[in-house]
Parts: sequence; C-alpha cells; structure tokens
Amino acid sequence: MRLWLLRWSPPALTAGCAALLALIYIHRHSALPSVGMDKLNAFTMLFLGVIFEALPFMLLGVAVSAILQVFVSENLIRKLAPRNAVLGAAFGGLLGLLFPLCECGMIPVVRRLIRKGMPAYIGITYILAGPIVNPVVFASTYTAFRGQLHIVYERMILGFAVAFVVGLVLHRYMRSDPLKDTHTAAAHAHHGHEHLHNHHDHRHHDHRGHHHARHDRHEAHNHHAHEHEHHHGGKPALGTRLVSTLGHASDEFFDMGKYLIFGSLLTAIIQTGLDRSSLSAIADSSWLAHLFMMGFAYLLSLCSTSDAFIAASFSSMFTVGPLLAFLVFGPMIDLKNTLMLLSVFKLRIVLAIIALTAVLVYASTWLTGALHV
Amino acid sequence: MNPIAARTLIVHHMLRAALLAGFALLIVYLKQKGELPLFVAPRTEQAVKLSALGLYAAAAYQAYSAFRLWRDNRMSDACDCGHDHAPSPSIVRNMLIYGLFALPLLLGFLLPHAPLNSVLAEKKGVSFTGLSTHPSAATPPSNESSSGDKGNGVASLDALFPADEYTHAYAEFAKRLYKREQIVVEDNLFIETLTTLDLYQQPFVGSKVTLTGFVYRDGHMRDDQFAVSRFAMTCCSADALPYGLLAQSADAKNYANDSWVTLTGIVTTTQWQGQSVIMLTATDITPVAIDHRDAYVYPNYEFDL
Repeated sequence: MRLWLLRWSPPALTAGCAALLALIYIHRHSALPSVGMDKLNAFTMLFLGVIFEALPFMLLGVAVSAILQVFVSENLIRKLAPRNAVLGAAFGGLLGLLFPLCECGMIPVVRRLIRKGMPAYIGITYILAGPIVNPVVFASTYTAFRGQLHIVYERMILGFAVAFVVGLVLHRYMRSDPLKDTHTAAAHAHHGHEHLHNHHDHRHHDHRGHHHARHDRHEAHNHHAHEHEHHHGGKPALGTRLVSTLGHASDEFFDMGKYLIFGSLLTAIIQTGLDRSSLSAIADSSWLAHLFMMGFAYLLSLCSTSDAFIAASFSSMFTVGPLLAFLVFGPMIDLKNTLMLLSVFKLRIVLAIIALTAVLVYASTWLTGALHV
Repeated sequence: MNPIAARTLIVHHMLRAALLAGFALLIVYLKQKGELPLFVAPRTEQAVKLSALGLYAAAAYQAYSAFRLWRDNRMSDACDCGHDHAPSPSIVRNMLIYGLFALPLLLGFLLPHAPLNSVLAEKKGVSFTGLSTHPSAATPPSNESSSGDKGNGVASLDALFPADEYTHAYAEFAKRLYKREQIVVEDNLFIETLTTLDLYQQPFVGSKVTLTGFVYRDGHMRDDQFAVSRFAMTCCSADALPYGLLAQSADAKNYANDSWVTLTGIVTTTQWQGQSVIMLTATDITPVAIDHRDAYVYPNYEFDL
C-alpha cells in the first residue's frame, strides 16, 4: 500500500499542480477577489524582491568561493592568516572592509577558506563582522540615520567588538573542526586512506549516510583517487579549472539558494502579516524591547545593506538600545543565515555562535542604550 | 557507473538547468515588461541583470553535465572539493526543494504585478515626518519664527533654520525651499524634502506644496483626511517604507485608496499621534497615471554634497 502511494503520488500531485497552473494561467486577467489579490501581490513583491536583491550577491559569493577553490592554494591562505589569536580575531573582524560580501555570498566563501586552511575562528569572526563592518553598510546606515549619526558609529564598533569577542572565545574553546563534512579534512591529510573515509560513515550517518554508500560504488567519483591525481600529476589545465569553477559555482548556488528562497518566503510572510501598531506595548518595556528587536531582526532576515531603513522607521517607538540590537544582531544572526550556517557548520557550533552573539549583543546594546540616557 | 544512478543524476541536472534558466528568463521577462523596478532599486537592477547572465552560465553547465552523463554514462569531473554534490535520494525532499525553487518562478511569471500599495503601507505604517527620528530635535522655538517675512536677509534665515552638524544639509535645503513661491516635492528628493519640511515646520506654514503619490487612509484619520504617500526603496521591496504627507480636503471621499494623485495644498500643522506634523489643506487634487518605473522613490545619495 505504502509503496503504491509512493509510486503514484508524485505524478498525481504533479498533475494536480499542472491543472492548478493551467487554471491560474487561463484566469490571470480576470478580477480575483481584491483583498486576497492585494495581499498576494504584496507578498509576491516582497518575496521576489528579496530574492532578486540577494541574487547578485549570492552569485558573486559563490563565484568568488569557486575561484578560491580552484585557483588559490592552501599555503597562501595559511601564510596570510595571523597566528596570534587577538590579531586573528581582529583580522577576521576587519576582513569585511576588503571583501564586502552580503552574508548570502559570504558563507560559501568562508567554508572554502576554512577548508583551505584558514583557522575556523577567523572565518566565523568574518561571518559575524563582515555584514556590518563594511563600506556599503556604513553608507546605508549613514543615510538612514542622518539625524543620529552616533548610531552609525556605534553599530560599526559594536559589530566589530561582538565578533571579536566571539572569535576569541571560539579560538579558546573550539577544539574540533567546526565544518560539517569533515571527511575532507581527513582526505587532505591522509591520501588514499580508504578506511578513514569509511569510518567517517558513522559520524555523518545523520547527514549524508546515503551518499557514502553511493560513494563506495562510484569509483570515478572517489575523492582519494583525485587527491592522488592532483598532487602527483601537476595542476590541471586552465580550461579544465575554469569549467570546474563553473561546476562548483552552479552546485553551490543550488546548495545556498534553497536557504535564500526559504528565508525570503518567511520574510515575505511575516512582513505581509505583521502589524506595526501591535508593537507599542512591547516598546515601552526596556528589556523586552531589546529582546523583541533582536527577535524581529532574526525573523526578518534582511540584507544588512538595507535594514538600516527599517530600523530607522522604528526610531520613533524604540530607544537607541533596541535599535542598535536590531542593527547589530540582524546582520550577524538571522533565520536565513542560520539555515545557511547549519548547512556548513555542525549544529553544536551554530548553537554556540548564536548563543554567544545573542548574549553579547543584548548586553552591549543595553549598556550603550543606558549610556545615552 | 550504475546506469540507474546515472539516469537519476541526468534528471537532476536537467531540472536544475531548467530552474536556473527559468530564473534568468524571469529576470529578462520582468525587464521587458518594465516591472523589474517594482522589485529592486535602479542601482540594484544592473546587478540583477548581470546575474541573469550568471544564471544562464550555470544552467548551461548543468545541461552540459547532463549531456556528458548521457553520452558517456559516467562521471569524470575532477572534484577534490571534498563534499559531494550528489543530490539527496529522497524523492519527497527533492520535490520540496525543487518545488521551493519553482515557487518564485510561478509567482513571477503567472501573476500580474502592481506597485506596493495601502495593504503594505498599513502594515508598515506611513511616516509623515520624513526621516526625522526626533521631530523636535532641530525645530526653532516657535515664538521666534512667526514673522513669515521673507525679505530679512541671511541672518534671519539662519535663525529660522538652525542646524547642528547632522542637519546642516537639511538646513541649507530648507533655506532654498523657503525662497520658492511653490514647493514641489520632486521624486529624486522626495524623502529629503519631507524630512526638511518636518524638521522646520513653523517657517513653512502658509507655503504652497505640491506632491504626487497614492492615496492612503488609516483608521485614525478623519473623514476629510487622507495621506498622499510614496514607497521609498533602498535596494529591494522588502525594505520599502512609505513616506507621505497628511492632507485634508472637503472632496476627500472622491479619491479612493491607492489611486494616484498630484495634490497641491497650503501647509498647516496638526497633531498626529502625539506629535506635531505638517498637513496640507488641499487646493487642487488631480488624478495621475503613473508608470511602474516611477512608482517608488529612492534616497538621494548626493544630498549631502
């Protein structure tokens, strides 16, 4: 019975969807109930708007990541990253000035860099600070808060400070590789060790159990064989590498893309559903206001280049503290990039990052808000 | 290589190629219809158009992979990236994921698109004070500026429009506006003009102001009141916020919500939710037809210069 259902439900659903689509297409010019249509239109505007706006940054990030993968060697990365923890965390915090990528683009790049040998804590510091400490975000925040420029500077400083501290803490306490697919690290270290590859089956059973089974069958797709090729046969031709870049980029786009679309979906639903007036009670309570703004920023998942204007629209209701909480927490941790982080890092690490960041942001913005009174 | 697995992979590659090409086509389609400005700001538009190219390239690669798999019946990619790109074998999961990608395509192609309107304006709350976050921050003491006398020279202008280091640009702009017979709120300085008018309310009382926008009403307004607003976008529709001015007119009920008008009125002030804001007593209201490209306004980045 179950088998029969599994066999026939996909085609049946497809037929059903096709029928619905046909209906929509046929009736698209006729007047649908205006209330529903209006809301659907607003929803579509927001949904597609976020996707389109994030798309160039994501493609850019994926392209840069793919280029790094194919063209930049490990040793270069290892040489560039500072050894000292303090310098390292500071380096990660300021890297956004050099590479101002949107968070959608940043995560594949960092994954690539960490695999290439950059210390993980520096990469994570960059993920946190990058969306804030960069020239584009500075400009947009400046434009939105012209009457309160101190907010702009406070945003930058707090963004850097929180990321810096999280970086240091991670350096001190994070022992194992935070990346999800650790069989790579093993592969790089031990060429052609089949056993190690199989042992990792257990660890990743929850994540890619099926793939490992398939791996063993697909000889040509065997990473270790290629590892061999790579190191003993010299670098492959430029043409092959370019094609390989394209392949990585398009696959990574799919990987990250589903999180982007899902995050946009949620953002659009929330913005079409949430009413501003229901917030006034919350705004009056100091500690609740901070928490609320952070939660709000988390759910909205806006790109950091544009969230300043949303924050500015709240400035009549909320004081400096909660506004800063929105401006600092949002770019660092939100629903969209939590999902993306989960696709790259282990669950424990992601939870630790979120908890640390949340506490630090809450405390530091509360302090800053108190200093203003 | 297992022939069944190869076939599945081919299907995946073709599906991905189709979806990626679909997104590229959607961007082109919206551009052709002139609807792309509804979704993203002009400066982002360029980047979006470029990413259509990137999407085509990715789609081409996926199609090519499918072709190679079909022809050679094996995978031959040099892929030492360490994580594998093979898709999940679970059908439900795949349907969900590809369905997720298909959803924006469906909405984009099949639905008609209109500019953001009252529905969202109501959710977000229309600002009648421009960008002013503290309306009382730089207003001059009202008992000093009641002269309304325009011929007193520079010294009195400075007194009328005091500025601190942050509002210098607004002060200068306010002085220029003050000298005009009629203040037209232009699209490229929409937010800035509204902010200026709100920062210095008193000196502008009695001036004539013209602006274009859509009609918006919320529950707190009187029957003869409505707002004329525009959505301001920074980079995409999710950050769009409505800005406008309150207006009052005896003919208010002739103008339906979301209809576009050009309204001219005389400035007065009124209380709105505990703050003093500008309100226009309408002298002329003309319906207008607006092009999608002009529906939204954008922050003016050269305002400070």
